[in-house]
Amino acid sequence: MFRFLATPLLGLGLLYLQGCSSWQINQLSTALPTAGPEETLKKLEEIDPSDRDRTQYLLNRGVLKLYSGDLDGSRQDLEQAKVIMSSLQAVSLTENFGALTANETLRSYTGTPSEQVLVHAMLAMGYLFSGNLDGARVEMLQANVTMSRLGERESVSGQLASVRFLAGLIYEMNGELDDALISYRSAHEIIKTRGEQVPDALATSLLNVSLRQNNDEEYEKHVAEFGRKASLPKANEGEWIVYYHDGVVTNKTEARLSVFEPKLRSLISVVVPQYPPSRYQPRRLSIKSGNGKVGAGTDVNSTEVIEMIERRAREDLADQSAKIMAAATVRAVAKYQMVKEAQKNGGGLGGLLANIAGVLSEQADVRSWNMLPSSIQVARTVAPLDSPVQIVGKGLALPPLNELGASRSRAVRYGVALVNSLNNRLLSYPPVKGIKSNEGQPNEQ
Amino acid sequence: MMKIWAIIFAAMLFSGCSTSVERIDSDTTVDLSGAWNDSDSRLVAQEMIQDALSRPWISDYTGRTGERPAVIVGTVRNLSHEHINLKTFVADMERELVNSGRVDFVASRDERGEVRDERLDQDLNAREETRNAAGQELGADFMLTGQVNTIIDAEDNEQVRFYQVDLTLISMADNRKVWLGQKKIKKLVKNASIRY
Repeated sequence: MFRFLATPLLGLGLLYLQGCSSWQINQLSTALPTAGPEETLKKLEEIDPSDRDRTQYLLNRGVLKLYSGDLDGSRQDLEQAKVIMSSLQAVSLTENFGALTANETLRSYTGTPSEQVLVHAMLAMGYLFSGNLDGARVEMLQANVTMSRLGERESVSGQLASVRFLAGLIYEMNGELDDALISYRSAHEIIKTRGEQVPDALATSLLNVSLRQNNDEEYEKHVAEFGRKASLPKANEGEWIVYYHDGVVTNKTEARLSVFEPKLRSLISVVVPQYPPSRYQPRRLSIKSGNGKVGAGTDVNSTEVIEMIERRAREDLADQSAKIMAAATVRAVAKYQMVKEAQKNGGGLGGLLANIAGVLSEQADVRSWNMLPSSIQVARTVAPLDSPVQIVGKGLALPPLNELGASRSRAVRYGVALVNSLNNRLLSYPPVKGIKSNEGQPNEQ
Repeated sequence: MMKIWAIIFAAMLFSGCSTSVERIDSDTTVDLSGAWNDSDSRLVAQEMIQDALSRPWISDYTGRTGERPAVIVGTVRNLSHEHINLKTFVADMERELVNSGRVDFVASRDERGEVRDERLDQDLNAREETRNAAGQELGADFMLTGQVNTIIDAEDNEQVRFYQVDLTLISMADNRKVWLGQKKIKKLVKNASIRY
């Protein structure tokens, strides 16, 4: 009798089955700053996600494992997520049908353009901190292919300065200065196009590499722009590049717009995802190199934002908003027709039931890679080969570079470290086992 | 409407619930994603080592010393767009070299470490007549190094994947490059634009 209810009821059934896991993931993301990565990871692993939410689940689990120091596990999850995202590039007939008749969450989660690029960056970090520089390089080459695919003329959608910078750094550490300079240039162009502040680490990279490449014209251009000269390390010095992942990116929420249609006595409901206004303020991390006493041969540097993930997430959603609204409109019309048909066949009760089913099945897709940091920050600092570098506020010390294999005779003397605001774990390249925090301060103020 | 749903569900049911396994010959070429696979590894190793063994450096060395050259595989770097398991590629090359019977093959750095540990252990624990003395190892005359590079050109759902494998055989005595091998593979990968 109520055959016309089949579509919305089926949608409701599917929602019940799968909506739960994405809701749980979003709850865990909200609690992540206080619970920390290790505790959140335990709770996340209790969730059995639906196939459609699997990418979101793996991306989040991968980043939590990275922050918890499980580099192998992180790489496995992120690789799997990457493969799924790639396989979902083709348009699905059944998922589109579901999305146009019930709601958007019936599509498999494929990740936003920024997320599709950031998965390579997180993987590259996993490889790098496992000591596999070539593996990290592979990810950067793949990121380049992904960004080329996503790139459109006069648009920076899916173009991430932080990933270009990381690629430049990996090439530079690999001795491929020409490729490094190209990547640093790309990072610079993206930041300028977006009208954002060029971080000091990128300025240093552009100055140092253009000078080392004897590219006088470009070097002078950068000197004029940044108001300083290159600061190449001396024979007894090396460089630490410190990444700081600060905060947790905001979750999407639902914005529901319901309009009563008096002629049909029907409530038409359109639901779209939105980001609440961001109140995030980046907190910097201070890095102290030298003999440890400020003002007496000690350099104090601090991390600066190279990627504001909060902003990228909102830009990606804004780029998708026209498509989302178009789909919502098609859906509203379909549900309107369904109610109309129900009233004709089932009378007042049928119309009412169809209307309730239509409203309840309308749900915004609020899935995202929501355990990413709010901002990615970076600092590049010169340090004597025989001195440790202090990460102030985290109670962490990076060991002297000569303990990691750097020496006066070796041309390449780099160390890379990753610190996050959620715990006091430090990951480094070359990998150092047993670096622990001296204090328990969770955040740099 | 119900008929449409019945068809969709029937399709979902029958396509999703079956797993099939078919045993195939390990030499069979099966291309699934277009990425570097076991066939690429095996065929490139075979072709390149056959090329290396057919070049004059072997006869030059044998004629000069009266002995077979001892070869060691050094670092083969993956500079491609893919996480290629180069261990299988190196193992394929080692197999081709050893099975050719025209060169002696020296254990790699990691393998040597394990063998030396075992030799030390023999010194302590094995009967004297069965012990193997230290300092009797065969030094390599040539080292094989190489790299895998790729160029990817992608547009919409199509991708051209170009692989170039370069191998170099270097004389340990004087750093001369005695053989340069190169193998190129080009694949056109077309991804589906629609899925069910």
